[in-house]
Amino acid sequence: MRKKIISDIIALFVSLLATFFIVSVIILLTGKDPFFIFGKMFGEVFGTGYGFGQTLFKTTPLIICGCGIAVCFHASLFNIGAEGQLNAGAFVVSLIPLYMSDLPPILTISVALISGFIVSGIFGIIPAVIKIRKGVSEVITTIMMNFVVLALLNFFLNYYFAVPSTVRTNNVSENFMIPKFSEYFPFFQGSSLNFTLFVALAVAILTYILIYKTKFGYYIRAVGYNETASKYIGIKVNRILFTAFFVGAGVTSLVGMNFILGYKGYYELGFSNNLGFTAIAVSLLARNHPIGIIFSAFLFGILDFGGLSVNEFIPKELMLVVQAVVILSILTVNKFFENLSHKLNWN
Amino acid sequence: MYNSIFAGFVAAVFINLLLSILFSVFTVKLKINQIVTGVGFNLLIAGLAKFLLILIFHSSSNTPRFENFPSFPLFKNIPGVGELLSDYIILFSFALVFLSQYVLFRTTFGLRLRSAGENPEAAESLGVKVRNYKFYGVLISGFLTSLAGIWLASNQNGFSDGMVAGRGYIALAAMIIGKWKPYNIFFACLMFAFFEAFEITIQISGFGIPSQLIQMLPYLITILVLVGFIGKTKPPASDGIPY
Repeated sequence: MRKKIISDIIALFVSLLATFFIVSVIILLTGKDPFFIFGKMFGEVFGTGYGFGQTLFKTTPLIICGCGIAVCFHASLFNIGAEGQLNAGAFVVSLIPLYMSDLPPILTISVALISGFIVSGIFGIIPAVIKIRKGVSEVITTIMMNFVVLALLNFFLNYYFAVPSTVRTNNVSENFMIPKFSEYFPFFQGSSLNFTLFVALAVAILTYILIYKTKFGYYIRAVGYNETASKYIGIKVNRILFTAFFVGAGVTSLVGMNFILGYKGYYELGFSNNLGFTAIAVSLLARNHPIGIIFSAFLFGILDFGGLSVNEFIPKELMLVVQAVVILSILTVNKFFENLSHKLNWN
Repeated sequence: MYNSIFAGFVAAVFINLLLSILFSVFTVKLKINQIVTGVGFNLLIAGLAKFLLILIFHSSSNTPRFENFPSFPLFKNIPGVGELLSDYIILFSFALVFLSQYVLFRTTFGLRLRSAGENPEAAESLGVKVRNYKFYGVLISGFLTSLAGIWLASNQNGFSDGMVAGRGYIALAAMIIGKWKPYNIFFACLMFAFFEAFEITIQISGFGIPSQLIQMLPYLITILVLVGFIGKTKPPASDGIPY
């Protein structure tokens, strides 16, 4: 086990090094100095309160969504539908405070988050039921559900909930907004970082406990590892798949807390900007380990904000390439290490 | 040369074949999970396209306009469908339906390709080089998807960001609805195209039917098909399993 962790960490460093090398070559090809670009980027991210705050602000939803996806992945459920699920949940999170504005904020916020969780969860249940009853791969149904959900939301916004001639809802009242860090720590002046970060960290820790320290989590991993064998030792496989999909999809709704209650105050179509897909990468990078996800989400947060901070020198889209190269190199390096450990007769 | 669509064609096919080779190094040679690799490739290539668009053309939305391919003259004067039939790639895509049906189900190559997907161990024991066939499959698929991209760009006289609009996923759905058989896939694609055109018509004419709900239909129908309202669909037995 310890050898496994050490080899995982070495593999991670090798892949980051490989990524740095590949991306440096790309930057060199554009005629820029990679050390200047990376230096500038890390300087902005770690050298300023605003930059650090923004980086953590972008990290928050990636932790939340990454953990949701990890729950599914542990059950070998390839949930490609997080993008749709989180949008559905976030939409509901934005509506509740508009229609329950007379209640105490803590109650309204709780109702909003719970309803968001349930709605996102329902969009996870649909592919789960189709998989269980009809044996259809969740990969394709979740992809289709993404399109269905976004079209539905577009419809609801257009016909019922949007501020005229926009694709956003009305602002929720100030009472329901989650406090920003900058209100307590002037260091983070100007950044949108809010207390949802703590919720995200709690989600990561709870997901860790759920997956590695509870019987349910053990069943999830057993089903993910070998469905048939799990069935024979008496695990109710269908119930596990169903619950894993509900919980995994439900969790993604919490990104609405960060963006809507913590930042903008309203739901806007397209706010997620492919978060649900990026979070797949975040989870895979951490090998679906919830604590690891905190770090991989932070890495992606650095790239996300870092890209903006060097945009005047090189298009920020370079960071999309960096994210992809990180994933592909970690896949490759992991494979080499796996083969190596087979040769050395570990495990 | 700089403004030549033919040079663009060759470059696009070349790049796609290179990427296909890279993809098969990951999935066939190194046997890395195909879905995960696919997610990585999607991120990489979409990111690179956006990055290069800004770097080369200094625009975050589209390339400058370029000339389309010259048109194919033979059927030009047939009323109604003349314009459709003067496009080389469209003509090829119709021929492709029959061609791929023939290759997949009437040739040794097709039989071996399918055996690699159905039961690689059995195929290998009969002397089929399974991993070579997987490689050929990826290459062919890379070539054909490059044509799809070339058509989209040339038809709009330029590349624009987000132009693809999830069509790769739709094609995947069409393949599943079509039960992995080219003739059926053709009709599945026709269904998707019909709804896309229908949605635009609805939007323009304003019948009072919300266009967003029409937009949703093809995906909803795909799910319903998968659920089995239109018959069961079954992938090759070893689909997605590295060998």
